[in-house]
Amino acid sequence: MDSKKKIATVCLGGCSGCHMSILDIDERILDVAKLADIVKSPIVDGKEFPEGVDIAIVEGSVTSDEHWHEIKLIRKRSKFIVALGDCAVMTNVTGMRNYFPLQEVIDEAYKNSVSNDAEGAEPNDPALLKLHDKVVPLQEVVKVDFIIPGCPPSADTIFYVLFEFLNNRIPNLSEVNKLKYG
Amino acid sequence: MNRNDLKVISEKAKEKHKKYKHKICVCCGAGCISSGSEGVLLKLQKEIVERGLQNEVEVIPTGCMGPCNQGPLVKYLPENTIYQKVDCENISQIVQSQIVEKKPIEDLLLFSDFHPKPFINAHDDPFFKKQLKIALKDCGDINPEEVEDYLAYDGYLALGKVLFQMSPEDVIAEIKHSRLRGRGGAGFPTGLKWETVYKYVSEEKYVICNGDEGDPGAFMDRSVLEGNPHRVIEGMAIAGYAVGANKGFAYIRGEYPLAIKRFEQAIKQAKKNGLLGNKILGSEFSFDIEVRIGAGAFVCGEETALIASIEGKRGTPKPRPPFPAESGLRGKPTLINNVETFASIVPILNNGGEWYSEIGTPKSAGTKVFALAGKINYSGLIEVPMGTSLREIVFELGGGIQGGGEFKAAQTGGPSGGCIPAKHLDVKMDYESLMSLGSIMGSGGLIVMDEKSDMVDVARYFMEFCMDESCGKCVPCRVGTKMMHDLLQKIYDGKGTSIDLERLEELAIYVKETSLCGLGASAPNPLQSTLRHFREEYESKIEQDID
Amino acid sequence: MQNITIYIDDKKLEVESGKTILEVCRNNNIEILTMCHLEGVLDVGACRLCLVEIEGVNKLLSACTTKVAANMVIRTSTERIKRYQRITTELLFAERNHMCSVCVANGKCELQNLGYKVEMDSIRYPRLFPQCEVDTSHSWYVLDHNRCIMCTRCVRVCSEVEGAFNWSVKNRGYQVRIISDFNTPWGESTTCTSCGKCLHACPTGALWPKAIVQGQLDKKPEIIEELMAKRKMGL
Repeated sequence: MDSKKKIATVCLGGCSGCHMSILDIDERILDVAKLADIVKSPIVDGKEFPEGVDIAIVEGSVTSDEHWHEIKLIRKRSKFIVALGDCAVMTNVTGMRNYFPLQEVIDEAYKNSVSNDAEGAEPNDPALLKLHDKVVPLQEVVKVDFIIPGCPPSADTIFYVLFEFLNNRIPNLSEVNKLKYG
Repeated sequence: MNRNDLKVISEKAKEKHKKYKHKICVCCGAGCISSGSEGVLLKLQKEIVERGLQNEVEVIPTGCMGPCNQGPLVKYLPENTIYQKVDCENISQIVQSQIVEKKPIEDLLLFSDFHPKPFINAHDDPFFKKQLKIALKDCGDINPEEVEDYLAYDGYLALGKVLFQMSPEDVIAEIKHSRLRGRGGAGFPTGLKWETVYKYVSEEKYVICNGDEGDPGAFMDRSVLEGNPHRVIEGMAIAGYAVGANKGFAYIRGEYPLAIKRFEQAIKQAKKNGLLGNKILGSEFSFDIEVRIGAGAFVCGEETALIASIEGKRGTPKPRPPFPAESGLRGKPTLINNVETFASIVPILNNGGEWYSEIGTPKSAGTKVFALAGKINYSGLIEVPMGTSLREIVFELGGGIQGGGEFKAAQTGGPSGGCIPAKHLDVKMDYESLMSLGSIMGSGGLIVMDEKSDMVDVARYFMEFCMDESCGKCVPCRVGTKMMHDLLQKIYDGKGTSIDLERLEELAIYVKETSLCGLGASAPNPLQSTLRHFREEYESKIEQDID
Repeated sequence: MQNITIYIDDKKLEVESGKTILEVCRNNNIEILTMCHLEGVLDVGACRLCLVEIEGVNKLLSACTTKVAANMVIRTSTERIKRYQRITTELLFAERNHMCSVCVANGKCELQNLGYKVEMDSIRYPRLFPQCEVDTSHSWYVLDHNRCIMCTRCVRVCSEVEGAFNWSVKNRGYQVRIISDFNTPWGESTTCTSCGKCLHACPTGALWPKAIVQGQLDKKPEIIEELMAKRKMGL
């Protein structure tokens, strides 16, 4: 059992769509399970990112303090980071706020739009994450070892990459025509 | 006017000058005008009339004399005494002392604020002594607004000689023999260029004078156009005769209103005197020049973009080949040379190609005009033989570093060039030597930096210039310069990483090799040369690293 | 036209003189990547993707504007050229806001295909994220500057094929933008004939007809070539 690899999946600034795509692996998850344990994931219990992870699959871009610390921690505790999906790779939809000043974006979302909350109130709970001015992809913050673009990447692509890694082979998306954006 | 009239007029003009005992030249280049020389000129003329000296003293406005930051400059001939920073208050003192008492005023002499004992004959000062004026000859001695003045200095004699005694082949052979290279920056052999245009058979051909001098800190072409416009006109007409063109365009940047005014005026005078237009000097050769005014795009100094601009199109470059020599303006064979190149034609034909080829270094013949700027004591315009060392230029001609500072680097070639660090101060200023140090001759801008200059900031500044001036047509230049600028800014702000430095180096090579025109291809030069000579300054700014 | 011998990627070819390297390569099934080239309109050599190495020439030359010459030795896919093609692609993606997942051209976009061909898995340079306008003033069509790559195919089609001269370019450097007439909203254009050729010429989702959603766009750039071919035959 010791030879089993440890996989973690994390969602930073993304829509969880890539994780939906991971779930779409369907029964092939059993093939993965034979070779690896999923030690951390939105679908697995556990708060903190564990140590000694072999492959960390990270969805979403770095949009805030929390994400920044999280991805730094992930880098420290994992051997291999896979950036999953267009947001993690090139910011995609999360980056669409980058061409406006942050305050304008917040005002548009909370003050100028119709809401059933207290009108015009900007959320200010200390527990909330602090947004960065600009959204950046993972590779601007940490070294990324493998990249799967796509919005979302298909389940086939995700499985192909995982399966290759778990069998100690290096996947090549172009070779199998699985490179795709959007 | 035919050829014989020319000689008569020339002699007459010489006679006219001889009747004066004294001559006072007031520099009316754009630099001195900005410090008030026009007022000085008026006051001086008035003073001379008031004292009844108008038959003894000739007062004329001239083009640039050289030491621009000491202006307004007033030169007294024949003694060659130059007074600096003259204002209207000094006029009567100068006339009284110099003309009446024949005693120079020590306190007003050129460079008296630097030397304890300034030279009475300014030409004894290393600033002038080390110079050899060929392109700038007569500039600062003649009135650029009078064609007679130019004729008095043997103007248009070369054109007469060419039209009546030489075939186009002879002219081209003479230019080839002189080994003159294009003074616009790239240093392409001028004779070869002329020959190429000459060989293309076409009913219509064009000659273009590139006066779109855009490098920050460069003003060689402006000074020539302002100080001796007829010289350029004559050079263009000779070129037209040699390559078989009957139409010339002078493309002058719109920021040079004085140069445009004087050049247009000179064209009018030349036409009136039969020195331009139909059957010049009674020969079979006709040549006409039109001025086109650039609207302030740096890229229009690139020949294909300049042609597009003359054609009335958006000033963007075209891929070469085809070169303008084959298909240029309106698809016809076109000769494009820089102002300084045209200004060098007349002396070559007057004195022979052999004479010119013996000046300078074996590969770079002749002289080069440099515009000294930056942290140097005497900024201004100089012309030195090719192969003069940078050390001589900075420390002898230029009078050293301002405020006793330390020389750190000199930028040659403006935003397309590179920097030369102190350890290479003895480099010979010629095309090949500068190239081997990762810089270029360029059009002749020379910006001197002292120890306070931050080289990352220098690279960032020039990159910003290229980024703003890129025409936006090709991807490497349009996006690459912006990307390099942003990365340089990031490093300058202390937020850069070693990966950013790697990206910069990769982009620099990429932009250099893939850009459509010379602007993009040379835009990474300041970055690459500062990285080559001052890499430690970049590395000291990089604090964090992506782990 | 006489035939000359040239060598492309070590293949000896007999070709007609007077053709461009790009034409020769396409006729011989040698792939050359391009973005600004469009069959039927003049070449400008702006995208720099079609650069090739030619023996004896110290510069890379664009295949679309360089004519073949006798005994030319051309290389189209050296490591250096591939590396530069990838950087060019990355810069194109980084320049404006190419958010494929919300773009009308998603899946039918020449820029996307280019990315796949140069095996671009990510953009290694920081994206610029410029604020770009979307001109929806025309009754039928949209101009979205976010997706524009400044290939100027629309400009050339409008002037050379339609003869309307609606499109041109403003500004310099990274601030260049396609403009309608003298920088007025497209809907107010007095020159646009609403022929729609520019929509087909556009390689990305910068020009598209209204009333379609993400991924529905169907561009047919080949119609320009067909049209010009017919015109040459006098049809």
